[in-house]
Amino acid sequence: MNAFALAPLVLGLPILGVLFNGFVGRRFVEADRSVGEKWSGWAASIMALSAFVIVVLLFFSLQANGHHAEIVPMMDWISIPSANFHIPWAMQIDTLSVTMMLVVTGVGSLIHIYAIGYMHGDPNFSRFFTYLNLFLFFMLILVSGNNYLMLFVGWEGVGLCSFLLIGFWFDRTNEKGEAMNANAARKAFVANRVGDLAMILAMSLTFWTFGTLTFSPVFDSAVEMFHSGEMVHFGAFSASLGGVLTAITALFLVGATGKSAQIPLFVWLPDAMAGPTPVSALIHAATMVTSGIYLIVRSNVLFEIVRESHALVFGVISSPDLVALIGALTAVYAGLIAFTQFDIKKVLAYSTVSQLGFMIAAVGMGAYVAGMFHLITHAFFKALLFMGSGSVIHGMEHGHHHIAHKHGHGHDDHHDHFDPQDMRTMGGLRHHMPTTFWTYLVGSLALAGIVPLAGFWSKDEILAHASANSGGINTVVYALLTVAAFCTAFYMARQVKMVFFGAPRHKAAEHAHESPRTMTVPLVILAILAIGGGLLNFPNFGAEAAHGEETAVVEDTHATEAEADDHAAESDSHAATEADDHAAETDTHAAEGASGGINLALEHWLEHSIASFHLTEEGVVHMPHTPTSLQVPVAAISSVLAIIAIAVAYFVVYGSRPKTADERDPLQATPIWWMAVLPLNTLYMDYLIPAFNRLAEWAAHTLDWAFWHDFVHDNIIRNIFVGFANFASNVLDAQGVDGIVNGSGSVTRWLANQIRRSQTGYARNYALSVFLGTVVLLAYFLFMAR
Amino acid sequence: MTVPVEWYVALSAILFSIGALGVLMRRNAIIIFMSVELMLNAANLLFVAFSRYLGNLDGQVLVFFVITVAAAEVAVGLALIVVIFRTKQSINIDEINLMKG
Repeated sequence: MNAFALAPLVLGLPILGVLFNGFVGRRFVEADRSVGEKWSGWAASIMALSAFVIVVLLFFSLQANGHHAEIVPMMDWISIPSANFHIPWAMQIDTLSVTMMLVVTGVGSLIHIYAIGYMHGDPNFSRFFTYLNLFLFFMLILVSGNNYLMLFVGWEGVGLCSFLLIGFWFDRTNEKGEAMNANAARKAFVANRVGDLAMILAMSLTFWTFGTLTFSPVFDSAVEMFHSGEMVHFGAFSASLGGVLTAITALFLVGATGKSAQIPLFVWLPDAMAGPTPVSALIHAATMVTSGIYLIVRSNVLFEIVRESHALVFGVISSPDLVALIGALTAVYAGLIAFTQFDIKKVLAYSTVSQLGFMIAAVGMGAYVAGMFHLITHAFFKALLFMGSGSVIHGMEHGHHHIAHKHGHGHDDHHDHFDPQDMRTMGGLRHHMPTTFWTYLVGSLALAGIVPLAGFWSKDEILAHASANSGGINTVVYALLTVAAFCTAFYMARQVKMVFFGAPRHKAAEHAHESPRTMTVPLVILAILAIGGGLLNFPNFGAEAAHGEETAVVEDTHATEAEADDHAAESDSHAATEADDHAAETDTHAAEGASGGINLALEHWLEHSIASFHLTEEGVVHMPHTPTSLQVPVAAISSVLAIIAIAVAYFVVYGSRPKTADERDPLQATPIWWMAVLPLNTLYMDYLIPAFNRLAEWAAHTLDWAFWHDFVHDNIIRNIFVGFANFASNVLDAQGVDGIVNGSGSVTRWLANQIRRSQTGYARNYALSVFLGTVVLLAYFLFMAR
Repeated sequence: MTVPVEWYVALSAILFSIGALGVLMRRNAIIIFMSVELMLNAANLLFVAFSRYLGNLDGQVLVFFVITVAAAEVAVGLALIVVIFRTKQSINIDEINLMKG
């Protein structure tokens, strides 16, 4: 079976949905609300679902194909033969892109269906689904393109859709009359622009270095150049490959910090919660924000070469280590900020930032599979949590409407600035919204990393990798991530406690009710995925002996070396049988199938895309190796910490609190609050941003305006120009050109004046000249013409 | 006694010179006209003189042509002078200087 020819449909179907909803959806909705909404919403959802089905077919085709990356060309895009510059519009169907596409279309479909219920009654119902499908289209371009430029098209496209969807309710204002949603959209767009600039620079540098932007040639020539120790020549000067790749990867990192909301560009993501909740679930939790991780995983060859070449960013830290460090710092910092939030969606937003930090840290350490694993499980449970929170908000809004109606239509002052997202007004919702509660609980526990839910396995794999490859930055990363895991469990327990337990603290919470089926069914499906997602990459238990030659080295601190050796041996056989790749792979598969069943399925699946490669004469250099078995000490520490965090949050800190909506949060009296708030509000908002503004102002006014414009422009450029222009105008033109023209005129006039005198008008003068002429002629004939 | 041809030539030259000077110096259009006739007839005289001297009739034939052309010229010229007189009330040639540059 081969479904690769269907691949373009994955992009075509969402565009079909965009066209439908963009051009006729609105008519349907306006003609008949209830029927029109079904048409509009389901058309979009069916496009997403059909795309999902095709991706599943691609998945099976890849399996039938021996996991060979398949390039599906669609058209020539940019072709400049003289510069040898060819960018095809082609899809790369390999295990990595199919994984991403499965997540995007799978979770995306569920969120589409959920949104039918959530957006019910919105005046711009079909516009919402237009944007949602457009987002799917761009996201699929991002993950399926076979070159960096296509990736960038998707990258910008999802940024655009993010802007459009955050600002979906752009006409809403807060009490002060500020257009918060539109501002949040702009903020996201601008923050992403910073990262996008880095992306453009990175791509330019990539093209300059390798002469192409297509993935596999870039990676192949990078490996080849590393192998031969060739310098990279940029016209007159040259640089070492490690240095150039460090610049490229560091710029990729900046791009990823923008799109994946890492320090220092994460500030847009919490504000992005202004958008409708399905958007938060789809774009700002499950898919778009993971594109930074996808980018790094896709560029793993470049990152590994940098790791191998020991080139440093500014002589301080190598770029993969920088990636890991930034991820880990973000994980902790965002986890701390999540303590201090009262908005149900803001908690989840900071949680997303924190979890993205986990993934970035993982890919930075070289645990690409672990990062992707966490990406997938996170997509499940964070989409679940966001949709659950949407369901809660929906319920609270309905409860509030209920009260407003009960109080009669007479007075309008029931606008007590009720915020349906404020957790302090909730409480006790588990009785009113049972489905939402149970699914939300599953999602929270999965996020907190409780055995045996999905989050435990993926988070544990990252922690295991950090501890197994200890030394250098990884130890720091391990410590930071452990703290972040504790924070995660704490803020989720705090949130669940405040939202679902205790007594209702507002009348709206008393009258909240369960959401419609279109909303709860996706919740249940995602809850099942959040429970079982760990099976995707289930580790081996006990010793690694299950893996054949691998010895039992769990306690051994040198386990990694042994594993690396083992892996090297394994991949030597890979290299030896490169010509007969198929056979080798099926062999490995057979062996693993015999030993592990479904264990490490994701790792075996992805290793076809995240390949090892030849770097040195000695042979293949491997990715840093992730332990394939469950690391009991690591798992125990993180589990115990998570349970402690939950217990502390549930029983100690928030035991019987808060009782009323305006009670102070117990944490507000502790230093933790200030630790979390100080850096964000004080350092970031009060010092960093004003400092940046002052710098920008200085740059704009003094450097740019006063110096560049006023001094350089006026005195140098303008004066030289004006001087030359004056010379040209007054001297060259007025005297030279005009002189020639006027001079010829006046000479003619002078000559004419002289000649004019001969024309006296007296007939006798003419007669005289005729006479004289005759005399002259006669004289000539008489004396000369003889 | 025959008059030698040199005398005719001299007479013709004198007549032509008088005519030419008349054309150049006089202001009355009629007199200028008469001077022109004088020059023509000086030429005619020379034609006839040389015709006889050479025993060839060509010159005499040519004289007829000259007389015919002169008659036509006089007809046209006098008509012009009449018209000019009617418009300008004068035939002073110095007043007819429209061609002055």
